[in-house]
Amino acid sequence: MLSASLYIILCSAKNRVRARLRRLREPRYLVGAIAGVAYLYFAVFMRIGARRATRPGAGPPPELFAGSFQGIATIVAGVVMLVLAALTWVFPSNGAMFEFSAAETNLLFPAPVTRRQLLIHRLMRSQLGFLFASCAAAFVITAPRLSGALGLGSVAARLLRAIAFWVLFVTLRVYSSGVTLARARLTSSDPRMRRIAWTPLVAIAAAVTAVGVPLVRSLSSQPPRSLRQTVARISELTATGAPRIMLAPFVSLVRPFFTDGLGSYLIALVGALAVTAVTIGWVLWSDEAFQNGGDEPAQSREGRSSVPNAPRARVIPWRLRLTGRVETLFLWKNGMQTLRTTDLMTVLPYAFPAVVLAVVGATARMSALGARGPAVGFAVASLLVAAFCALIGPQMMRSDLRGDLIHLDLLKTWPVKASAVIRGQILWPIALLTLFTWGALACGTVFSAPAFPRWTLAWRLSLSALAFVLAPALIAAKFTVHNAAAVLFPAWVPTGRQRPRGLDAMGQRLILFAGVMLSLIVLVGPGAIAGGIVTFAFLRLIGPVILVPAGLVCLAIVAVELALVTEMLGGAYERIDLSQVERSE
Amino acid sequence: MSLSIRHFTRTYAVAGGPFTAVDDLSMDVGAGEIVGLIGPNGAGKTTTLRSVAGILRPTSGHIAIDGHDLVSDSIAAKQRLAFMPDEPHLFEYLTVEEHLRLMARIYGVDDFERRARALIEELELTGKERSLPGELSRGMRQKVVIACGLVRNASTLLFDEPLTGLDPVGIRRMRETIVGRAKAGACIVVSSHLLHLVQEVCTRVIIMDHGRKIADGTVAELASRADLTAAGSSLEQIFMRVTGHDVEVGSSKSEV
Repeated sequence: MLSASLYIILCSAKNRVRARLRRLREPRYLVGAIAGVAYLYFAVFMRIGARRATRPGAGPPPELFAGSFQGIATIVAGVVMLVLAALTWVFPSNGAMFEFSAAETNLLFPAPVTRRQLLIHRLMRSQLGFLFASCAAAFVITAPRLSGALGLGSVAARLLRAIAFWVLFVTLRVYSSGVTLARARLTSSDPRMRRIAWTPLVAIAAAVTAVGVPLVRSLSSQPPRSLRQTVARISELTATGAPRIMLAPFVSLVRPFFTDGLGSYLIALVGALAVTAVTIGWVLWSDEAFQNGGDEPAQSREGRSSVPNAPRARVIPWRLRLTGRVETLFLWKNGMQTLRTTDLMTVLPYAFPAVVLAVVGATARMSALGARGPAVGFAVASLLVAAFCALIGPQMMRSDLRGDLIHLDLLKTWPVKASAVIRGQILWPIALLTLFTWGALACGTVFSAPAFPRWTLAWRLSLSALAFVLAPALIAAKFTVHNAAAVLFPAWVPTGRQRPRGLDAMGQRLILFAGVMLSLIVLVGPGAIAGGIVTFAFLRLIGPVILVPAGLVCLAIVAVELALVTEMLGGAYERIDLSQVERSE
Repeated sequence: MSLSIRHFTRTYAVAGGPFTAVDDLSMDVGAGEIVGLIGPNGAGKTTTLRSVAGILRPTSGHIAIDGHDLVSDSIAAKQRLAFMPDEPHLFEYLTVEEHLRLMARIYGVDDFERRARALIEELELTGKERSLPGELSRGMRQKVVIACGLVRNASTLLFDEPLTGLDPVGIRRMRETIVGRAKAGACIVVSSHLLHLVQEVCTRVIIMDHGRKIADGTVAELASRADLTAAGSSLEQIFMRVTGHDVEVGSSKSEV
């Protein structure tokens, strides 16, 4: 099977390269490739060259890489890994290691090979992608002075980092696949299957408890005054005893990133590889046990995928009315998509009161203790979450026309106004992200009381209200721009789950990103200027309350612009040529 | 005239230059008519149907449904149209009942509950109303697509390989459905490689090859054409003769 796997991998890689070179004959890919090559040249190779040129005068590695920093950074990174490992159980990935292509299912599954061989083949198949991602991460992310710390030339140091990234990526992917596998059997009818499924979850829960309980106890009894103090406390508490033992595999996995010499790097790499091997072994063993137990999860028996984000036929108390506007029809349709592919309906009734209680309780305690440091941390974190929802959310949440490009042949047969389709498609994601942003802003507003006691209530509330008003404007503008890109350049928007790869695809994404940002500035600019004028004109007269009407002015202008833009996009939607929509490789 | 196609041409931009999938096609289909659109792979049948359905824009020429031009008056034209593709494309997160409801909302169906119930029964989807497409077999999904097309009163029905994935009972029901809708006054175009189905249900046949219409008429009319008399009265033999495959088939048989 090994030789067959290698044959498939090499032939696929060769043909993929050929196909990518062949498609450069099409201008859209050629332009993308030029942009991608230019980016790589300027962003990576020029930087490497510049650093190499300045290296002789760079001096010794900075204090940043002194032993104490490395120790703290390794432990903090280990804690982050533990949190990630725990979160994987709450928000599972798609179990990619168990996802086989249709060709693999039809040709390899009936072949005389074992299930384990198939999984190893699947793991091997993903290695080229991991290697590319690792090299990209090592060349783009590596801090400039790290190579000096390793005592190696820039390129050699980057290659070592790439290996560390590769080990990390493989482990994370295999682990998340294992979690997906075990998670589906947590409620198995077979006690043995249940035991196998619950064991890793119990282990992770034990690790979280061993590390989390002393941390929370220490941080709440004596709140640190600054971020530096917080990090030092985490490092101190996790350096000994049970937390140290529980964190050991997570710390081992990230240790290669924080070494100061080739020898220590190689030792750390062996530790990381051991963690990877154990993870792969666990997944292969549990898969075999589950297979032998013949215990298929319920949804697999029904012939559905066990992929967690596959929709589930849960009853949603939201029925489409038989009459109404086209926009609300799409609002319902995209809403059903979100509610059926996520656990939002299940989680929200518990999460909402829990968050409210936690925020109010924490604020009251921090106010009573005068713990400004953590309050600032929570307030800033809330604002960061709000900013993430408003700025990055529209890029990630594709339950709009971008996600529906795959259904475009169906949508195009509907007797509905094209501009209404575009408006309707963006309505649900705007509403949902606005709600999340408002939630985070509300948390930030509550935390702002103990965090910024010198600010008057009027200022805090006015700023908060301004953010509440501007959030939907910004989110709507971003969705409009992204969907405009999908309508105007459907060939550059990937459909389905597969993302186009290669330099040309990277270049396309860069060009699209630049276009989106520019369009966003053009779209939000007039409203921001008008709001700014209102603020400066009346701030002295009315005080901070003027921020609210200023925000409303901005919102109104953006709303009018969006109505006009979506109306204009209708014509372009009618003219979309389906043969130009991005096809998978 | 329910469906009118005039000098319709559709080209695709491909790496080697523009490729003409359909070249100067003109045809009319009247109310109550069932026209079979047949041809070898790549003949341009699906491109024609997808263009008539409003999915692809004609490169040149005009398509009109009940006198409404598909480009300049697209909403009115599409309102009268139902397209049942060969590949059952459904929203993976909507149930069978929700798909029908969605169609009823889009097309403004008045007596939805009654029609939906009747259709679900007719297409043997009873008990599957609350199932997601992922839980259905391919044949079942095909039936849902057909139900979505039939839930409204469309005057023009386009079927692209309507029997794909259906079981024998489903095939018989589908044939009855097609004939029944035509009798009720609908104009129907069926694209299929199943020539016996076409011969059985269609009142007229259009044969396409390399993007062009090469034959148009009833099976009897085609059989009586001077150049086709030797082919006999079977649509399969006529098809082979018209598309120039009868020689290949004959020669390969003699080689064997």
